[in-house]
Amino acid sequence: MLAVGAAACGDSSDDDGGNTTSGGSTPEASAGVADTVILGSTDKVVALDPVGAYDLGSQQLIGNIYQNLLSVPAGGNKPEPDAAESCEFTDPKTYVCKLKPDLKFSSGDPLTSEDVKFSLDRMVKIADPTGPFTLLGSLDSVEATDPMTVTMKLKKADATFPFILTHNVAAIVPNEVYSADAKQPDDKIVGSGPYKLDKYTPNQQAVFSINPEYNGPNKGKTPNFIVQYFEQASALKLAIEQGEVDIAYRSLSPTDLEALRNGGNGVKVVDGAGTEIRYITFNVKKKPVDDVAVRKAIAQVIDREAITTNVYKGTATPLYSTVPSAFPGAKPAFQEAFGDPDPAKAKAILEEAGVSTPVTLDGWYTPTHYGPVEADLWNELKRQLEGSGLFKVSLDSTEWDQYKSEAFEKGTYYFYGLGWFPDFPDADNYLSPFMRDGGFFQNGYSNKEVNDLLDEELATDDAAKREEAFGKIQDIEAKDVPLIPLWEGKQVAAVREGVEGVETTFDPAFQFRFWVVSKKAD
Amino acid sequence: MSRAGSLRGYVLVRIALMIPMVWVLLTVVFLMMRVAPGSPVSATLGGKLSPAEIAEREAALGFDRPLIVQYLDYLWDAVRFQFGTTVTDGQTIGSLIVENGGATLTLTVAALLVAIVFGLPLGLIAGRYRETIPDAFIRVFAILGYAAPPFFVGLLAQLLFAKNLDWLPASKMASPITQATAEVHTHILIIDLAIDGNWDGVWDVILHLILPATTLGLLVMGVFIRLVRVNVGQALGGDYVEAARARGVGERRVVSRHAFRNALVPVVTVMGLQAALLLGGAVLTEQTFSWPGLGTRLLQYLNSRDYIGVQGLITFFALIVVFISLIIDIVNALIDPRVRY
Repeated sequence: MLAVGAAACGDSSDDDGGNTTSGGSTPEASAGVADTVILGSTDKVVALDPVGAYDLGSQQLIGNIYQNLLSVPAGGNKPEPDAAESCEFTDPKTYVCKLKPDLKFSSGDPLTSEDVKFSLDRMVKIADPTGPFTLLGSLDSVEATDPMTVTMKLKKADATFPFILTHNVAAIVPNEVYSADAKQPDDKIVGSGPYKLDKYTPNQQAVFSINPEYNGPNKGKTPNFIVQYFEQASALKLAIEQGEVDIAYRSLSPTDLEALRNGGNGVKVVDGAGTEIRYITFNVKKKPVDDVAVRKAIAQVIDREAITTNVYKGTATPLYSTVPSAFPGAKPAFQEAFGDPDPAKAKAILEEAGVSTPVTLDGWYTPTHYGPVEADLWNELKRQLEGSGLFKVSLDSTEWDQYKSEAFEKGTYYFYGLGWFPDFPDADNYLSPFMRDGGFFQNGYSNKEVNDLLDEELATDDAAKREEAFGKIQDIEAKDVPLIPLWEGKQVAAVREGVEGVETTFDPAFQFRFWVVSKKAD
Repeated sequence: MSRAGSLRGYVLVRIALMIPMVWVLLTVVFLMMRVAPGSPVSATLGGKLSPAEIAEREAALGFDRPLIVQYLDYLWDAVRFQFGTTVTDGQTIGSLIVENGGATLTLTVAALLVAIVFGLPLGLIAGRYRETIPDAFIRVFAILGYAAPPFFVGLLAQLLFAKNLDWLPASKMASPITQATAEVHTHILIIDLAIDGNWDGVWDVILHLILPATTLGLLVMGVFIRLVRVNVGQALGGDYVEAARARGVGERRVVSRHAFRNALVPVVTVMGLQAALLLGGAVLTEQTFSWPGLGTRLLQYLNSRDYIGVQGLITFFALIVVFISLIIDIVNALIDPRVRY
């Protein structure tokens, strides 16, 4: 049972009569640091057992409960040893990791190579319909070579494998506690990460305390961490204003964040690098966008600065390739190819191709799946395209399920919006899913050169060679324009005064790390 | 047939009628969920996976089987009260009801109290002073309360009392610390806190309860006010009131002891009939206030196309309404011997 000290209560819980007992085995707070931080979120959590979790809400918790062989440290952009002491490819299809000594789960059981093998094997065996098991597609077999060594055999060379090992698909669970063929119940979760789950009420609250068995480098600063779930962003905004939560993270609307940024009330807005992107997709088999000149003319007109300023109020930045700027290998290919927005150049492109203007476009978006301002984004796009005098745009929208079915399965739309969060922080995860054989959205685009370059970068762990291949693919992306990148989102949170460290967890790994966050004691 | 035998037959007929009612409802919910596009897998992971990968995962859940097979399985499970486990958060319907039912019960009971405490006196005043200015104000208030959707009233209440005046918390059932430190005994937070003697916690829940309970209470209050007003008006014109007046009973006593008491009889019946209205309103109120009840969960499962969650919770709601209707029918039959089929 959690015991939360009085210093945890912040401004509001005392005022509201919140109960503040103390005792038990709660780790003590460092001097001057409050012993509880409360994070509010509108995320949903699908599962706390990694086998069932392929969604952001679950991943935010799982990343704090479990360890992986590798992880991306705060502020970093590539995998570093975590539960592993070292990992390396001994040949292109064999990846070997040595474990750190004396690792333990919060249950007290030692963490050995058998647990790693068990975790990866059960992920593939259970193949939970809501789980991430497909990310292990290149894994052939796992061996616990000795208690401290794990050998992973791959079906084919895969340079992204170390990145995949940072995902919760490779989170290590205890084979003494978890079933090999069934999902672990949410109230019986055991990991070896910096925090342990003390109490979980689905969709309401997750209560954590520092895992006393954890002896790695990510020791938490705050003894207790509570994640409080809200249904409405408006309620979350009021909760941070009233001091009911210390941090409001995912997802306040840009308008709410702007109001909080300017509003005082002891709240400030912090942001950092993000990896969410938004882009336009074309079905390149359908008129009028089957003509690359039309796609190029659209790319030539779009003003990303205006979009990020007018619609996103500075919570997003322009994106000139589908690979966000924080990743090694990112190249602003669209900026190099098209320069500044220029309707005159767009007109020349269309004239040269013999396309008569205005070109009629039927744009589609989904109004809520990607947040509350999607309609504003598309109205801004319409304004820009029609402002050029070259296009006549009609807009339509439908809810996500219908939208996805029409866009991907039936191929009804030819000009529509999509977004992406990464599975793992590597440029490949921003190119393969979009550019190989029509992408996951099946837009009809296929280019052998792109496929070969993707195979090439996957087959080597030489960073320079991979970045060179990424650069070429991005150049082809800007030349063939099967899609148009629009913006990359910053990670943004509203925090009460006295809360520190949130900005340091905002990096391409997209993991909210409880252990870097603290709050000054009252 | 004796009266007891007649009553037993009546109750048995009523219970027998529940079965086709619930069956029709189960069928409609099943078909509506399947006719609409999408599935829990595509709603959760649709932006990540190709159509083929999504189809594979749907097949693993059995969603690719013929509709009739799925329907028969579903009915067989429903007969055995086995509704399965939700896809999008791994909850059984039983655990959902246990974890979230307490919050909905707390909210609806509090809303009913608000409606009774404020609605009955206002109805009495309106009935006593018919066609006067206070009556006009109360009537307008009642109509607004009944007609204004809870999500709209709730947002206004949050704006005024939480944001602008900062008097009350805007959402949730308790402060995070109160909830985190509460021991679970009954899964009804306010009772659990009271059992542990945590009166600060109880007060915390009451503060959180005021806005949502009032929002939902307004909905039912409107019905109560109008009903009491009409009944008091009729009672005041009744023979027995005239007789009381003729006996020299004071007007205050005539209203409070004679007219009001008689006007309350139909209100008690109507109170039961408000169960459906309360549950419907609770769904919207819970969502607005992030109140962690069954209504919030139902909307979540609707949005994520989680067949299991929607089917299970709607069946539960339906059973509650049907059960309450049955109780009212039985009580009515006991009170009024003329009620028989």
